[in-house]
Amino acid sequence: MADLQAIVARVKNALASSRPAPNHTAPRPPSLQPDGHRAELVSCFARELEAVGARIVGPVGPEQLADRVGAIVRERGVKSIAVGEGVVLDLGQVGNTLGESGIDVIRTGAVDGSTRPELRRQLAQVDAGLAEADYAIASTGTLAVLSDETRPSALTLLPPASLVVVRVDRLKADLASALTALGRGALEEHRLTLITGPSRTADIEKRIVMGVHGPKSLDVIVVWPRDD
Amino acid sequence: MAASPKPASFFESSEAGAADRELQRKLENASSRHLDHFAQVKAEYSDYEEERSQSRRIKEHAIAQLDELIVELTEKLKARGCTVFAAATVEEARDYIVSVARNTGARRVVKGKSMTTEEIGLNPALENAGMEVLETDLGEYIVQLRQEPPSHIITPAIHLSKEDIGALFHEKFGIPYTSEPERLTAEARARLREGFLSADLGITGVNFAIAETGTLVVIENEGNGRMSSTMPEVFIAVMGIEKVIPRLADVSHFLEVLARTATGQKLTTYTNFIGGPRREGEVDGPREMHVVILDNGRSTMLADPVMREALYCIRCGACLNVCPVYRHIGGHAYRSPYPGPIGSIVSPNLVGSAAAHLPFASTLCGACKDICPVKIDIPRILLHLRWKETARRDLPKWPAPAARARAGARQFARLARHPSAIRWLGKIGAIALKPFARDGWIKRMPPPFSNWTGIRDFPRPRPRRSKSGADEN
Repeated sequence: MADLQAIVARVKNALASSRPAPNHTAPRPPSLQPDGHRAELVSCFARELEAVGARIVGPVGPEQLADRVGAIVRERGVKSIAVGEGVVLDLGQVGNTLGESGIDVIRTGAVDGSTRPELRRQLAQVDAGLAEADYAIASTGTLAVLSDETRPSALTLLPPASLVVVRVDRLKADLASALTALGRGALEEHRLTLITGPSRTADIEKRIVMGVHGPKSLDVIVVWPRDD
Repeated sequence: MAASPKPASFFESSEAGAADRELQRKLENASSRHLDHFAQVKAEYSDYEEERSQSRRIKEHAIAQLDELIVELTEKLKARGCTVFAAATVEEARDYIVSVARNTGARRVVKGKSMTTEEIGLNPALENAGMEVLETDLGEYIVQLRQEPPSHIITPAIHLSKEDIGALFHEKFGIPYTSEPERLTAEARARLREGFLSADLGITGVNFAIAETGTLVVIENEGNGRMSSTMPEVFIAVMGIEKVIPRLADVSHFLEVLARTATGQKLTTYTNFIGGPRREGEVDGPREMHVVILDNGRSTMLADPVMREALYCIRCGACLNVCPVYRHIGGHAYRSPYPGPIGSIVSPNLVGSAAAHLPFASTLCGACKDICPVKIDIPRILLHLRWKETARRDLPKWPAPAARARAGARQFARLARHPSAIRWLGKIGAIALKPFARDGWIKRMPPPFSNWTGIRDFPRPRPRRSKSGADEN
């Protein structure tokens, strides 16, 4: 990497004449302000989701989750759905219920060289994807989703309808708090995607159109366990 | 002074832009929509000044230790299996990317919007190597179909109306004409989806690179950046050296500021945090990931204490939207990948002498400085670059232009104390200038006045209205 060393040397020389003292010695304290009243956070989250063209469903109890997902799936006319593994919720159970009601369910899981192309092909063909977010951000209406072996990024990207579940204790006040909660370690291990609304563009006369490359619709289901 | 060929072409292109009323209508329309959105989200900041100062502090801090941050970032990326290539020039960057594409056996390349790849002239190089290059940001896709460069760094097709785009799709794809943005978008979606699933190589730019975690952050609204960085087997991220920020704790601030100033959103739809190629067992993500870190004049800017702050730019495009010159002549007139006020200060460094005239194409009104989310003093840098360019050229030593200007101003001050003299001279002037006017404009005059008309047009003096409203003269 002689080239890299050469560029670093040039940068060092350029700074040598007048290198200002670092003036930002400590990171801004992450705004770990108390997350506030849950009901307030949920209503703020709902308002922001609507502002970006997504829809919020719930809060629902964990036992109602499968039924509510079933209702959205019927309403959106979904015939086939890809279901990822949950983070703290049991999406496997939701997948079973959907399967019993006659929906074509594809489950994502670890792949190898031979199974990977097939799963990708399926992900590109299903009508909907169901995933659980690691965290959600109330002030911007954002979902923070890590991807790994059982939760490919394509789950929230390729299918035209996107359904994302999040448990209420995973709702954070702002982006800085959510990134702090995720931690540096998670970012070093996995790809992270922040999702704020359905895919959109404003490239034609600055008019907003949904669903340019990614999902055209985004339904977010907030799960609030009774004992929480 | 004799105009060199490049400025002459700038005069032509800016004159063409200035004469295009339809272009100005589109730019006004888009810019004012943008500024409305921005005003709405800005109102939610309790203290926007403090937000700007915070951005400024982080960037100052980052650039002050850029050499160390580049090393830290590179080591983290390599540890996760990325190949990092440092390119001193556009040629080196281009050659490297073409060689990766060749080694991959790539036939189809999908690209996310990236001004840095425009800077290195990547598309023609890949096409010459026999590959199909698909721009996948909707605006970029549209201008690529028209075989044009983008005219705005955030909204590449800002110079086109929905009718223009409808006609383009009708002509290129043979679909029935429509000017509905929804139907045009759906058409592009179907065509580009096929491209994403079959491409061998994906290329995007980078908005921020976090040194501490070795993470590249790519923001977008459409999902094409996600697609380009996860679908093809090989992925290349291209970034200027100035994109590095120290910590994860710094990124949330910039993500919020950039979304607000660039598009008036609280956050863009998708923010991708990319750390490396896919790992064992994962479904998506590239098998192979390359990161190209480009200098191309940036370290020279860094060495100049006045220019240095231009490296703080986060490419939000807000200065274009408020600039009276940009809004009058449009982005293509600048003939640089980076148009508008920020383009006029970085282009002479990144593109070289071909852009040396751009710092002069400004009224120095300061609107760019007022809106800049990192408080770059663009007017000051414009003056600095003018001074450098003027000092470089061999101009007449005596009477020095400044001395002449001072003498002229003194003469005018003397005259201005006598309103009747001014009026009288004005009348004489109007009569004397009449023979030089064409269609209401004076564009050419004999020497020594050609020094003025060679680079400026001015309207033919018209009969003045008196206070009573009747025409004088």
